[in-house]
Amino acid sequence: MSTARTPEPVAVTDDGSMLQKRVDRRRALAILLGGAAAASQAMSACAPLTTMSDEEREMKLLAWREYIKGNYRVMTEAERAETIARLERIAKIKQGADVTIQSTGAQPGVVFGYAFNISKCKGFRSCVEACINENNLDRRAATQYIRIFEMEDGIVDLDHADATFQHEVPAQGHFYMGTQCFQCADPPCVKVCPVGATWQEPDGITVIDYDWCIGCRYCMAACPYWARRFNWSAPEVPVAELNPNQHYLGNRERKVGVVEKCHFCIHRTRQGRLPACAEACPTGARVFGNLLDPSSEIRWVLANKRVFRLKEDLKTEPRFWYFTD
Amino acid sequence: MIRRREIVAAISVAVVWMNAACGERDGAADRAALGAPHGEPTPDIARAKSDSGVLTLETTRNATLQPGALQTVYAAPVDNWQGPGSQPFEVALRTVDPTTALSRRFGTITMRTSLRVRAPDLGQYPCTSCHLGRRMVLADKRVVGAHENIQTAHPVQTGGACATCHAAGNVEFLALKSGERVTLDHTYRLCAQCHFAQAEAWAGGAHGKRLDGWQGRRVLMGCADCHDPHKPAIEPRIPFRAPRLERIRGRDQ
Repeated sequence: MSTARTPEPVAVTDDGSMLQKRVDRRRALAILLGGAAAASQAMSACAPLTTMSDEEREMKLLAWREYIKGNYRVMTEAERAETIARLERIAKIKQGADVTIQSTGAQPGVVFGYAFNISKCKGFRSCVEACINENNLDRRAATQYIRIFEMEDGIVDLDHADATFQHEVPAQGHFYMGTQCFQCADPPCVKVCPVGATWQEPDGITVIDYDWCIGCRYCMAACPYWARRFNWSAPEVPVAELNPNQHYLGNRERKVGVVEKCHFCIHRTRQGRLPACAEACPTGARVFGNLLDPSSEIRWVLANKRVFRLKEDLKTEPRFWYFTD
Repeated sequence: MIRRREIVAAISVAVVWMNAACGERDGAADRAALGAPHGEPTPDIARAKSDSGVLTLETTRNATLQPGALQTVYAAPVDNWQGPGSQPFEVALRTVDPTTALSRRFGTITMRTSLRVRAPDLGQYPCTSCHLGRRMVLADKRVVGAHENIQTAHPVQTGGACATCHAAGNVEFLALKSGERVTLDHTYRLCAQCHFAQAEAWAGGAHGKRLDGWQGRRVLMGCADCHDPHKPAIEPRIPFRAPRLERIRGRDQ
């Protein structure tokens, strides 16, 4: 069982020059140390005195192979299938959870857009609750992708907005405005990533390869909408609450020290379903659809309602519009 | 039911009003006309008394709509409005499937279908099993509190009179101002008489909800799937827990 892999020509996809090296550092390490790992594997297998159980040994090997894998964008289909099989096995060993991780690609002719009705939102945060459950957000750190800002009627002033309100809503004389990742068409977070761990997919969703992120948090500093969240500790989700329907670029398990954010429920929306927040909204304030389809709800809103985008002057071109009745 | 007594009182008043307004029969005549079959409350009527309210979530927690289950949703084409891109669409109908007739969850939305089952197929508790001769007159005066959950707060302009929306001669239909009768599934036609702007936004996709997904068959939830027609405003409530934001209010942790 040799883990040493012959360097294959890496599929050159797009921009990132760091992705185009034939043999990068990670791969070289894999070749150098793979033999060593295999040797130690063999040794521990032959040593009956070792305290390692079979599962622990398998886990070590899986973790090692996960460590030396490539960026998702340059993986071949076979490599993607391999890493998904490993991740599913890791979830099984660690938590006893039977998860399914998709690698579903973008549908052709689809660019997702979102619209948010600020006259309808009443600040119930049902979307937040649904998002936490759907996306396996860290229960211990109480991570939330969506922020609902409570503001006084009359002006959109995020500096004096309150996202931590906890009283009966809607409050008199206030309105509510939800933010999340806007999936900008010109995302500043992608530009600043030094390792190419975050990128924009063809359907407009900006995704993160959680296994490639180095946790530098540049993207968090670059995002003008406070959309990204950092894992200061390893996320904890009780296995009973774990959503087993996962996507490699979406709601699969995150590690400590990596950034995550809203991905428009990539595991749902790429299969034609609505994001969990839109489905959960009890007031119908959330509209989701394909911007390229003239008969979609989102296009109707853009054509018939007064819409605006947050911080439009920054020219990040969010694909997230606000509108009023 | 904190205010059960008040509600019962209100309903009693409403029933009295209905008797007077519909002017069909008085209570004694009703009882006289009942005859033997209705002499004693049947088990069904007895059950109707306790079950007629909006069901609790516990009953239906497991009835979540699974992906792809939209195929099983009964829906009717809407021919009064056109959706975005002049596309036709459908409105979700209530079902008489006993497992889903009472209340069904779509995501975290619960369609409270307890008494809004499709009128012609109303199998379990036809209105006429309590209401005599399809009129809004109660057949058996021993059935109390059957509609105790109903608070007629809408429309305010008419003081929530039943006959503003319900067909006076037939409880299974709604009556439009034109005189046309529509079934309970097509409440949007009734609502749109006043709320025409909302109806247009609903057809376009800016108001209300679409079932299941953004792609494929477009089935919208009807007005009464979210709004209690007798009390349509969405109630204030305590929100889900606030984020932990320590350093800057409203910004990232």
